[in-house]
Amino acid sequence: MAARTRTVSEPSASPEVVAAVFHGVSVSDAMAILVVEQVDGVLRVSWSNERTGTLLGYGGADLLAVPVEQLLPSLRGGELKLLLRRERTVHMTLPVRCASGALLDCAVSAVPVPPPAGKRWTVRLHATANEAEQALRATADAHERRFATLTERSPVPTLLSEQGMRLAHVNDAFCALVGRQAEQLLGTGWLDAVHAEDLEQVIEQAMAVLEGGDREVRARLVRDDGTERCTVIRFAHVFTPGVGAGFVGTIEDITDRLAFEARLAYQANHDPLTGLPNRTLLAEHVAERFRPGAGGLACIFLDLDNFKVVNDSLGHTAGDALLVEIADRLRSTVRPGDLVARFGGDEFVVVCQHVTEDDAVALAERIGVALHRPLTLSGVELHPRASVGVTVQTAEHRAAEELIRDCDIAMYQAKAGGKGRITVLDSEARAQARDKLRLVADLREAIDRRDITLMYQPIFSTADGSAVAVESLARWHHPERGAISPSTFVPLAEESGLVSALGLLVLDETCRQLAAWDDRLGTAAPQQANVNVSALQLDVNLPGHVQSALLRHGLEPSRLSIEITESALMKDPASARAVLLQLRDLGVQVSIDDFGTGYSSLAYLRHLPVDCLKVDRSFVAELADGHAEITSAVIALARSLGLCTVAEGVETREQAEELARLGATYLQGFSLAAPLTGDDAATWFADRPATTHPSDRHPDLELT
Amino acid sequence: MTPSAAPSLTVAPVFDLERVLASIDSMAAQRPVAAQIVSEANSDRVSAKELSRMLGADVALASRVMKLANSAFYGMRGRVTSLQFAVTVVGFATVRTMATVALTDLDDESRLPEDFWEVSTSLALAASTLAPRFAERPQDALCLGLLAQMGVALLHHNDPDGYAELWTTQRSFAGRRTAEVHRYGISALRLTAVALEQWGFPAGMLVPLTQVDDGASFAGALLRSAFEVAGRLTDGDHQETAIERVSCGQLRERDVAPILSQVRADAEELRTALLG
Repeated sequence: MAARTRTVSEPSASPEVVAAVFHGVSVSDAMAILVVEQVDGVLRVSWSNERTGTLLGYGGADLLAVPVEQLLPSLRGGELKLLLRRERTVHMTLPVRCASGALLDCAVSAVPVPPPAGKRWTVRLHATANEAEQALRATADAHERRFATLTERSPVPTLLSEQGMRLAHVNDAFCALVGRQAEQLLGTGWLDAVHAEDLEQVIEQAMAVLEGGDREVRARLVRDDGTERCTVIRFAHVFTPGVGAGFVGTIEDITDRLAFEARLAYQANHDPLTGLPNRTLLAEHVAERFRPGAGGLACIFLDLDNFKVVNDSLGHTAGDALLVEIADRLRSTVRPGDLVARFGGDEFVVVCQHVTEDDAVALAERIGVALHRPLTLSGVELHPRASVGVTVQTAEHRAAEELIRDCDIAMYQAKAGGKGRITVLDSEARAQARDKLRLVADLREAIDRRDITLMYQPIFSTADGSAVAVESLARWHHPERGAISPSTFVPLAEESGLVSALGLLVLDETCRQLAAWDDRLGTAAPQQANVNVSALQLDVNLPGHVQSALLRHGLEPSRLSIEITESALMKDPASARAVLLQLRDLGVQVSIDDFGTGYSSLAYLRHLPVDCLKVDRSFVAELADGHAEITSAVIALARSLGLCTVAEGVETREQAEELARLGATYLQGFSLAAPLTGDDAATWFADRPATTHPSDRHPDLELT
Repeated sequence: MTPSAAPSLTVAPVFDLERVLASIDSMAAQRPVAAQIVSEANSDRVSAKELSRMLGADVALASRVMKLANSAFYGMRGRVTSLQFAVTVVGFATVRTMATVALTDLDDESRLPEDFWEVSTSLALAASTLAPRFAERPQDALCLGLLAQMGVALLHHNDPDGYAELWTTQRSFAGRRTAEVHRYGISALRLTAVALEQWGFPAGMLVPLTQVDDGASFAGALLRSAFEVAGRLTDGDHQETAIERVSCGQLRERDVAPILSQVRADAEELRTALLG
């Protein structure tokens, strides 16, 4: 700034030097210089160099006739004084009129040349913008306009701060998002549209962006009508040279997405029928409140008594209505803050905090009373009751799920005790439950390690007394508890989801053993093995598993007979029939085990693709008491349907003879042959003659 | 600029303009830091770090910039703790404007006409708020508005009594400009332009000052509209001019009401932030 206000000093050069400078200036093509003088009160150009004539388009002495006011039209009205100062050099940017009349923007410097002061000035002209600069500026302006147009019309709500937090620009999309006019949002007005609770964070992030980098923040924006939109604001740093740091903010409205996610989350955690929290949310709820070693947390497990009767007799719609009513009654009976969840089916769980066992039982009783109030469904008056299990957290509970599991056990105890009861889980029941859990774990390990072994019990033909087949029988010898009965571990496997693995093990091991016998015994090997299949295995996967096992061990399908209990077939007869058909198509035989103990329709039996009926040992036992009616009827039925029969549990020679007389095809019993290991069975079969003499029809049916 | 509306220097001034113009030069020597900032803040090469370094040499000015950056006007709510960040927040143009305010003693209200800053902050905020309508940058418009009346201060400094009387008797801005030319041979706005040009402010900032009285000039329309808004806010006897006319059709009367309330709300805050 000091240079701009420098006072002109007296020249001290020699006349020769002055002459040299004057010559240089007069012919210079780099600098336009002219001299202005005030003569008779009028300011005129008294001298100009060649460059001035070229710059302004004047020729010869034409410029000398032009008044200075005309040359500098923006300094009309005597404002020339602002440029032509008495004692100081002045620099101004002014339009200078050319000979053509056009205006040329110039940096104009006027240097007073005293004495006398205020009479004469040298004036230097420098055109401020050449064509290249103008083109550059036009390009920059065009870029800016394009950017502005793009932003303005973009559907993405956008903010622009050229520096600091004050907005210089908002686009229409942002105005629409917050329902306000641009004028209300410019400056710091946009901060008023940010929810008060989110404002700190927004400012924090925007401030960080002013110092460089990009940030994003989730914030609620408040519309002019008071409604809120959830957004993600993404800030990007912008630096304008000579101006400072600002930001561009783009806003994504995620309100609808969040609502959708919330809906999904709600649906994932709530039962759609009753609106109650589901099992997942129950687990989270209990886990959040469970503190090991603390107390006061209680779970009440309810299972509606006879709900299946309602469903079966009044229909599922009535059943659903009952569940909804029960849910409403539970909600209105529990204390504020207690959680009511639908555990599944007709099971509900109530979770309450800060209660003693007495409090929990009192609540369970209140619930029982509330549920028992009559209601009418499809014209039938019902008095709902529930079996209720109560557990209050003790020091023994190490995890939240143990609490829920215990109240489940308590509920089963209540149900076993006669329904409509409330049971508090005692330590003995808890110990039993835990023991069962340990046994399940051991069973899982035993299956994994193939510690489940098979025994094979021979089956004899009544026609010639030969041993024609074996039945595979699973055995589990627990390392600590000794032999565990199949009647214990098979239901355990079914309850704990291990039955499929157990079944596959038995199937595979049986096939392996058959192949091993073939190798060792040749034609003396057992020609068929019967494998028991649980009701839970009776699904579309069974034929595939059977076929795989046969292929794996190179056996013909006829070597295998699948035994399925009558009750398993009756659970879902249609799908059971489809599975049996597939097995038959494979070439595998199918037997119905324990026939006569269930309630199967004889008409239905006719349509089942089975080869053999196994007469239950209870009917065989009745033979000793002179009651042969049922056994006789079953054998006759089988014969009339073209099926063979296997009588189980044959204990005496008399029973064997009687069964042969009645027409039973095969016999099986401990006294005929006990179950054998694979190796023992090989020896046993090797020692037997291939056939027996017809005159001695039952030489092998001797009691052992 | 129509010849009839143009203030003229040909009316015999009763005041030595040369003295006023000379004072513009001498101010720089008294506040060298402010002068350096005024001189260099406009450069494309200057960084926030460099500007804050310069600013640090003038404690009073630096503290004002800090205070302004932390004011509600900039929405930072006391979070600005470094001078460099303060420069970033308020912007280089504002720093330069504040340096100019310091340089010309505009921060000494005792040496200014009575409602000088009320008018100036209203003018600045009106210009800033209206700027997008005229495709101008709000921050540049704010600075222009803050400094537009610098010529008033210069005239008042040199002729306290005379200018105070002029200020009081001529309430309209146009009337004041005519009276200023009559008394001093130059209008305060023109004087502002001369001073700003002398201190190297960008030409784009000077054009509105020279064309504000040319009703047909779009370049002067924003400042003209801002004067109209400021007049409506600060002068109870203001003779309203149709906003469509002064804005070259960029504004309608219905646009003005929200702007009036917004400017009214912010003006005092900005004044406090600027002057302390």
